[in-house]
Amino acid sequence: MLGALAGRLGAAAMTAVLSTAAVFLLIRAVPGDVVGEMLGQSAGDRAAEAALRAFFGLDRPLWQQYLGWAGDVLRGDLGVSWRQGLPVAGIVGKAFLVTLQIGLVTLAVALFVGVPLGILAGVRHGRWPDLLVEVVSLVALSAPVFWTGMVLLIAAGTWFGWSPPLIYAGPGENLADNIESIALPVMALGLLQAAAYAQFARQQTMQVMRQDFIRAAISRGLPARVVYGRHLLRNVAIPLVTFAGVILVQILGGVVVVETLFAIPGLGRTLLAAIQARDYPVLQGALLVAVLVALLVNLLVDLLYAAIDPRVRGA
Amino acid sequence: MSGRARVEYGAGLALSMLLLVLAVAPGLFAGSPDDVDIALRLKPPSAMHWFGSDETGRDVYARVVHGTGTTLGIVGAAMLLAAVIGGSGGAVAGFFGRLGDMALSRGADALLAFPPIILGVVVAATLGPGAANLVLALAIIYTPVFFRVSRATALGEGAHAYVEAARALGHGEWAVLLRHVAPNVLPTVLLQCVILFPLALQIQAALGFLGLGVPPPTPDWGASLQESRNYLTAAPWLAIFPGLALLVAALAALLLGRGLQSRS
Repeated sequence: MLGALAGRLGAAAMTAVLSTAAVFLLIRAVPGDVVGEMLGQSAGDRAAEAALRAFFGLDRPLWQQYLGWAGDVLRGDLGVSWRQGLPVAGIVGKAFLVTLQIGLVTLAVALFVGVPLGILAGVRHGRWPDLLVEVVSLVALSAPVFWTGMVLLIAAGTWFGWSPPLIYAGPGENLADNIESIALPVMALGLLQAAAYAQFARQQTMQVMRQDFIRAAISRGLPARVVYGRHLLRNVAIPLVTFAGVILVQILGGVVVVETLFAIPGLGRTLLAAIQARDYPVLQGALLVAVLVALLVNLLVDLLYAAIDPRVRGA
Repeated sequence: MSGRARVEYGAGLALSMLLLVLAVAPGLFAGSPDDVDIALRLKPPSAMHWFGSDETGRDVYARVVHGTGTTLGIVGAAMLLAAVIGGSGGAVAGFFGRLGDMALSRGADALLAFPPIILGVVVAATLGPGAANLVLALAIIYTPVFFRVSRATALGEGAHAYVEAARALGHGEWAVLLRHVAPNVLPTVLLQCVILFPLALQIQAALGFLGLGVPPPTPDWGASLQESRNYLTAAPWLAIFPGLALLVAALAALLLGRGLQSRS
């Protein structure tokens, strides 16, 4: 178990190094950098350009730049924003907490809406609840999540004369305002992920329902409460818990566009702003966090899987 | 295939055909997407203009119809590019194994570590707007996915007796791969194109919405949604119809993919 864990951790670390290096090279491979943008009118002033380049370390070879950055990261230093002059760790950390809140609330919504509907559809396979869940979830899966958000904005504005507050409020500042800020984004993301969850839960339920022990339980005359509550749920629970990891990573991806639509200062908007300003340290910091979170969630899912299901242990 | 699955598959097939026709010959179904008429500025849907008109009085219906080719063409080209590069790379890596396989697999893992849309945003923003760059960005996201699928299939095929037999007959390794293994990997890769299509479509739309897609005035569904943002309550039809088009296209590919999957 410990050996396998060490192996997984090693592989994840290697992936993190490779993916950050790939991005590091990619964003530097294209012409134009922060120096040209900063100088603006006075671009072409060679001395000023060289001075700025040296200041940002852009005059060094790429591999030196990357090793320097990676070394700082390992020491816990993500650098300083080229545009704002503030530590990247603070900027990215703050943005990540905003995104994380939306992600976790969305996950809860998707879980509580999608799973019961999916299990219901699986148990009532082929009947109208199944058909209804299937049609709604297929449509929800097909709609681009930011468009769902736009439709919600239109609906709220037209029918209720309501629109979310213009300025985002964190849960610690003002909980009521915070709920208003994240309500529509969570609904848009939640609808999509609840649909994904429902489809998955339906599939899992149908698989378990076909098993002999369910048929045996039914034919032994056990009440539905026991068949579904004990035999079905316990077997469906494992894949559903692990699926939460997949969903969470998907939410963290999808939130990028939704944050832009709803003007929420999360990781996605920070990332986009950093790209547009060519603020490399912030961009690299935000990407590092995104990759590490995705890797960590996947790792946790595997560990959780092993903890719940003794058959996987040591495999 | 159950009755319902057959209905789903049929619907997916019919919708895909319709979209294909719209993409190839939009002129048969709608007028020019670029005709500006300020008198029609932000007019709601009517008998003349089914989907209303936009801020310069252009017909939204014509823009949605003409956007089919742009939007689906970009996604289709990206799928094809990713399938060719990822598919052939995966087949070679899976068949030969060893060091090259390990290096390519680690590279694929590194790209797969990013949430796809985030990778798309970074690549598209770095390359700059334009249809070709968008194709490239989407292809970079999905090449590692094709690589993995193709590699796993080739790895499985390589263990079959027919491969052993071909070797025993004196065929070279490359001949075995190209003539015997590759034809068995191809269907899996093609199926993957259809399965990934709706996901890639949504990313294409998201990038367009973020202003990282096709520059105006080319009609594109995601770009139309970006332009509609300032008129959400004043002219909701600008947002509704291009989004519906995206929904229908994604649904068509989703149904088609599920149908093909259950048949194979």
